[in-house]
Amino acid sequence: MRKIYWIPLFLVLVFATGMASVPKPKVYIKKLKGNHYQLIVERKPYIVKGVCYTPIPIGQNHEYDWWSDPYKPWIVDGKLMQEMGVNTIRLYQAHDNPEEVKKVIRDLYELYGIRTILGHWLGFWEYPCPFYGDKDFQERIKKEVLEMVNTYKDEPGILLWILGNENNYSCLGQVNPWSTDEIDKEPNPQTQKFMRAKIYYSYVNDLTREIHKADPNHPVALGNGELVGLDVANQFCPDIDLVACIIYRGKTFGNLFNSVKATFDRPVLLSEFGADAYDAYLKKEDQNMQAFFLESQWRQIYENLANNKEGAGNCLGGTVFEWTDEWWKHDQNNPESWKVHDTESNWSNGSYYFDIQAPKNMNMNEEWFGIVALSEDQKEFGLDKRIPRKAYYVIREFWKRPNLKKRNKR
Amino acid sequence: MEAPELKEKEQEMIGSQMLKRLPSKFSVTLLISLTLLTSLTRISYAQDSAKINALSKQIIEAKSDKDLYSAFEELMDLYFSRATIKSEGGIPPKAGKENKYNELVDFLNSLIKKKKAPEPVVNYYIAATRYYQLKYLEETQEWDEYFSNGNTYRDQITQSAQKAIDVTTTKDTAYLYARLILWRFHRDQQDSFEESALADLMRAAFEYSSLSPELLPLKDVADQLLSYGEKGKAKELYRSYVNKLITQDIKDEELASIALGFYKEGNLELSQLVYDIYIERILKTYPKEKLIPFLIDIAKQFSYSAIGGKDEGLKDTVYAENIFKKIEGIGGKDVFDQELIYLRTFNLEKSKEYSQALNIYMDLIQRFPQGVHVEEATYKAGIIFTYILRDLKNGRNYFEKLMNKESFSPYAISSLYQLGLLSQWEGDLIKAKEYYNKLLGEAKEKFPEAVDLVKARLREIEEAKPPEYNLKTFLDVSLKEENKVFDMSKVDLTSFPYRPKKDQEVNIASSVYLGDTGCMQIELQYLWSGDLGTNKPSSLEQPAFNTSYTEPGTKVINLVVVSPSGIIDRNIDLIDVD
Repeated sequence: MRKIYWIPLFLVLVFATGMASVPKPKVYIKKLKGNHYQLIVERKPYIVKGVCYTPIPIGQNHEYDWWSDPYKPWIVDGKLMQEMGVNTIRLYQAHDNPEEVKKVIRDLYELYGIRTILGHWLGFWEYPCPFYGDKDFQERIKKEVLEMVNTYKDEPGILLWILGNENNYSCLGQVNPWSTDEIDKEPNPQTQKFMRAKIYYSYVNDLTREIHKADPNHPVALGNGELVGLDVANQFCPDIDLVACIIYRGKTFGNLFNSVKATFDRPVLLSEFGADAYDAYLKKEDQNMQAFFLESQWRQIYENLANNKEGAGNCLGGTVFEWTDEWWKHDQNNPESWKVHDTESNWSNGSYYFDIQAPKNMNMNEEWFGIVALSEDQKEFGLDKRIPRKAYYVIREFWKRPNLKKRNKR
Repeated sequence: MEAPELKEKEQEMIGSQMLKRLPSKFSVTLLISLTLLTSLTRISYAQDSAKINALSKQIIEAKSDKDLYSAFEELMDLYFSRATIKSEGGIPPKAGKENKYNELVDFLNSLIKKKKAPEPVVNYYIAATRYYQLKYLEETQEWDEYFSNGNTYRDQITQSAQKAIDVTTTKDTAYLYARLILWRFHRDQQDSFEESALADLMRAAFEYSSLSPELLPLKDVADQLLSYGEKGKAKELYRSYVNKLITQDIKDEELASIALGFYKEGNLELSQLVYDIYIERILKTYPKEKLIPFLIDIAKQFSYSAIGGKDEGLKDTVYAENIFKKIEGIGGKDVFDQELIYLRTFNLEKSKEYSQALNIYMDLIQRFPQGVHVEEATYKAGIIFTYILRDLKNGRNYFEKLMNKESFSPYAISSLYQLGLLSQWEGDLIKAKEYYNKLLGEAKEKFPEAVDLVKARLREIEEAKPPEYNLKTFLDVSLKEENKVFDMSKVDLTSFPYRPKKDQEVNIASSVYLGDTGCMQIELQYLWSGDLGTNKPSSLEQPAFNTSYTEPGTKVINLVVVSPSGIIDRNIDLIDVD
């Protein structure tokens, strides 16, 4: 009898010990009641309060190696970020020198507790264009991605990985178009688009599986422009952990959170959103306009976080575009223009309605998206002086005291 | 009301302080101006105060919902201007009159304290005031107040509306209006409550419709739904409203007049609903010969004006065609004289229903071979066959019919050009030259625009060149079988007015339906060709342009839109110059 009595107790102990020996991943997504999702970082819920970070100084362009800047812009920026309440930065892609990248990630984490989302362009900006249907191209990019994961996965500051950005638009054939012989033979343009999306999302799924094998500690996000193609991702990208959406819809995100739930039920990170601080109609800086849009966008992000019964509950937070202005963007091939804060718009978006009546409706000023402006004539700590815009303070206050609406009773 | 007095004193003080600092020469003028201004302000405030007192009395003594709500509405208009508030964005309006939102909320709260008005109604108006205030602050970009008090105002909207809902039932107007303001608020915010707020509003509206004798609140809700683009939902409520509005004893003429009234208000949905009931009634009671003229009048009201160059009033060519179908169903084709056939097909053509338009143009040609519109109909049939249906054989047949006429009208001249162009595109240059030279011979000084076009084509033939690039691209995309995929669904083309006079300015505009490209702007090229008139687009980047024509006839505008990855689509538009 005694032996029989001890057997179940022994089994429970073995099981419990076994359980204890399989630690939870450092960062993972917890599914809650009602298909709500929550990001858990070191056993605690984590709301991504982030910024997209590309600190290009005035007079330089995207090729500038800020990672080796002796004045270490991330040290100055990290302090300002910490004071604002930022807990995450998003880097679009790591630099060639891993030691320098590690230094940035470590400094931000150790000095300010700021974590890093690391992304990979998946060859989207390669010339002539990406070839997602080409095996050699696929293998080469896969190698790069896995190298990135293996190099940085043990950095304590790493939060998650994002694959691609707005690469899905290339499947529609207008941006960085690519094809295969089989697609070229297909006469129906709609079928062609589907074929491209199938190839692209299947490839991202393949990468995700490989990353999961190499690094079970960090989730993998699908970078996606708007919700375009998510119905195809739902079929061919089942292993992805979350969707990182790039969204420019003005004041709000509309029905985005419920739409994602309906088409591809994964948690959503708003990995790129925001508003510019230049009124293209009145031709002057307008910090209030930017602050207005950003406050409204953050309010909606918070309404849709997990455990908020009123919202969709599938939002993990966001990384606003962007920390500082980038003065090189308007005329990328003209170094002289990188020293000028251009006020000419590169694209149009009616959702940012205050200045939509600008000539030809060109109201989006790509060089004015920073929530922190750069001073043209003042240096501080060897860098262009950082001047927080109104949005910086408005978001800071919002994060301290998010004002969320309650549903009205029936 | 204490506010007016305070402001008067303030103004007087400011005035006297300024006077002390100015030389005496200006002082007199300024003194007179300030005295006048103060007097005017005093009169205005006095008037406002008197009005507010009168309205307060009306609110306290109101015996019906109508009296109560109209007093509150007037009160709102006294405190701020809602005319400047738009549901969507845009350039902020200039602040016209004083916008005393806070004063109104104070006044409304005082009504609650003194128990001088029904609390739910007052609460609804507090919510509404804060709603308009937020919109006003956003649109006038008064950001200091927006950022410092925005959250408080948002809370007040939801809390005050909820208070109104809590103590009322669905038969109460305050309940319905509170639901409406909540939906508008969530809709403007595009937040996660928008959907449920809309469902709550619709439920409330239907219950209100069956329980309350009041009519106007239902129309208010439908009007708001319509203004936000909720056409289907608005129509459902308009139907309820119309069913209540139209009692059995209402006369047919009265019904027609109500429908016309809504049309003049610009509310086509409501107008059509009432017309539908009117038509249903007269279908049962009127003899055919009396019925058809009424139907024709309604169809004409919603049609483009085919003749005369005036296109005033709102148009709904789909509704017009529905009525034309009814007329045909009742009286057959014979009740259509040539003008009515022409009007019908002109409308179909303008709503880009080319296949239907073609059938009726052919009917017109067959039934009225000597009619005034037959040449235009023949030319347009040729154009539709050729460029819409890619049927060159039939297209040519129609163009040739005009060429064989004895006298050369603008349509015959244009047909010669089209025949020459098709031959040139096919590489039959001898035939092309024949057509072009015949045109030159017939056109002489009467058709300089056509002559210019032909000279350009002949030059190309002489120099052994294909037609100019834009035109050649349009012909390739429109005529080659392999390009059937370019079906005019991604490029839209409209002109205004459709029936200009000679030398009158016409705006020609295109819109392109592209897939999403995010912040990566696609650079599009617009390849315009055809009858572009006196002021051709100056660059490839122009999606629209203004032009005019010096000679009458049907002008064919061609467009192909190209992106860096290839052709997006093409389209044509027809303009009839009188």
